[in-house]
Amino acid sequence: MRLELGNIFIKDVQFGAETKVENGVLYVNKEELIAHLQDERLATIDVDLARPGESTRIVPVKDAIEPRVKVEGPGGVFPGFVGKVDTVGSGRTHVLKGACVLTTGKVVGFQEGIVDMSGPGAEYTPFSQTYNVVIIANPVEGLERHAHEAALRLAGLKAAAYLGEAGRNVTPDEVITYDCPPLQEALKQYPDLPKVAYVYMLQSQGLLHDTYLYGVDAKQILPTFIYPTEVMDGAIVSGNCVSACDKNTTYHHLNSPIIHDMLARHGKDFNFIGVVVTNENVTLADKERSSNFTAKLVEWLGVDGAIISEEGFGNPDADLIMNCTKLEKKGIKTVCVTDEYAGRDGASQSLADSSPLANAVVTAGNANEIIILPPMEKIIGDASADVVDVIAGGFSGSLRPDGSIMAEIQIITGATNELGFNKMSARML
Amino acid sequence: MRNRVIVVTNNGSVELLEQDIFVAGTLLDVLRRCRDLVHQGHQLISHPLVSSVKPNETPYKSVVLTKQRSAQIDFRSLSIIEASLHTAERMLRERPLQKYPERILQDFQFIDRDLLESALSSIPLYI
Repeated sequence: MRLELGNIFIKDVQFGAETKVENGVLYVNKEELIAHLQDERLATIDVDLARPGESTRIVPVKDAIEPRVKVEGPGGVFPGFVGKVDTVGSGRTHVLKGACVLTTGKVVGFQEGIVDMSGPGAEYTPFSQTYNVVIIANPVEGLERHAHEAALRLAGLKAAAYLGEAGRNVTPDEVITYDCPPLQEALKQYPDLPKVAYVYMLQSQGLLHDTYLYGVDAKQILPTFIYPTEVMDGAIVSGNCVSACDKNTTYHHLNSPIIHDMLARHGKDFNFIGVVVTNENVTLADKERSSNFTAKLVEWLGVDGAIISEEGFGNPDADLIMNCTKLEKKGIKTVCVTDEYAGRDGASQSLADSSPLANAVVTAGNANEIIILPPMEKIIGDASADVVDVIAGGFSGSLRPDGSIMAEIQIITGATNELGFNKMSARML
Repeated sequence: MRNRVIVVTNNGSVELLEQDIFVAGTLLDVLRRCRDLVHQGHQLISHPLVSSVKPNETPYKSVVLTKQRSAQIDFRSLSIIEASLHTAERMLRERPLQKYPERILQDFQFIDRDLLESALSSIPLYI
């Protein structure tokens, strides 16, 4: 499977009479976009813009989605939601690189997710660096919460696909080609290098904790094999909006650093064979079954090692450790990627499960670290105490009289993202 | 299958069957009750730390266990419930649960119920 990603660098976003990309500026026809997002489940839809460096706070952020459009090859972006369920990941896709759709809207009262466009909080979220088109949607009276979440999720995806269309006929600033051959061919490549797979764990426990693969609720899947490029066309979509710091938004899935880094090192340091997608369900039997299938599938791929990324904290730690130990016992070396809830001083046990076999672990940060977010001039969404005090990572008195917020960094969207999509990190030089 | 399991909960909005146990107490009380049941031979069906809503954020917890007791303690269940209890105690010690207005409590109950339903819809046939 061969995919060309054509990145169109976006340097600003503005409202305009026509939705288009011109000289790196994304112009958005607000009325047309709102009309495009009409849904009988949503009473009001509004659109606002947020740029890097502005004194703007967006809260509660539900999902982040990168505008993309499929210009060649089968299917459309976000298959199962916007596009049909064709197999995506080949041909050519244009990306409005630097632009982002953020959805805001409160499904439950404790929902979290802060994006500050400037100040100390901006350091913790990648979405302070993107030109954001924010969709503010409110449900019709009495809308059931599952339907509300689904409507918001779809609105974000539709908005990203609508904006992506503006890049269809634009010449990209760069084109990157990803070549992922079928298994038999892949195994023959680079015989001197170790073969490595990626185990991609998806949160799948229930409302506000769900992820979708080609439109299917991931809790209903058995672990399966996909090409890395399928993810880049939106085969994985997030419906997960609890625990802002370590949820994978749809944007994170599209841009998974693990997949991109593994592809970049493919043929140099190792032979990257492919991706096994698995879930994180609520019952122990489901966890056992999924980790058994994951181990079987990874063994069947004939790899020497695997990277495993977790999503969330608590019971997914059990899934992570099951995946890790079952692979290690088959003689497949593993590296786990997770984040930590190690207390404010970072000294406590980080995970809710552990094993001596999990002897190579990469952390994306300690979600319990405290941060003070200064007041912002503009609020998009709702930053009243009603919201901020009760959201995850906040606590009573989080919102202080001057409008500043004292909270754990788990309140910030993407702060300890377990795909490693972080602004602050340690890198090997 | 529903009558082959016990739901242990402090969530008053959960519909209970005769064998279920309502704990008039905290999330920790629910976990401790589950630990006692595991010591008596019941096995965990759902993970006690289900949900990304942390044990020091939500006041509610519903856990599913087997109704049948086996003569032998299930050590996997025991290790999971002990580790979960330890994690919950540690997190609550560091940042105690705050007081929530009624409508937020209802939202926490709703999410707990949704995750419980997710577990109940996936009860293994072999228990």
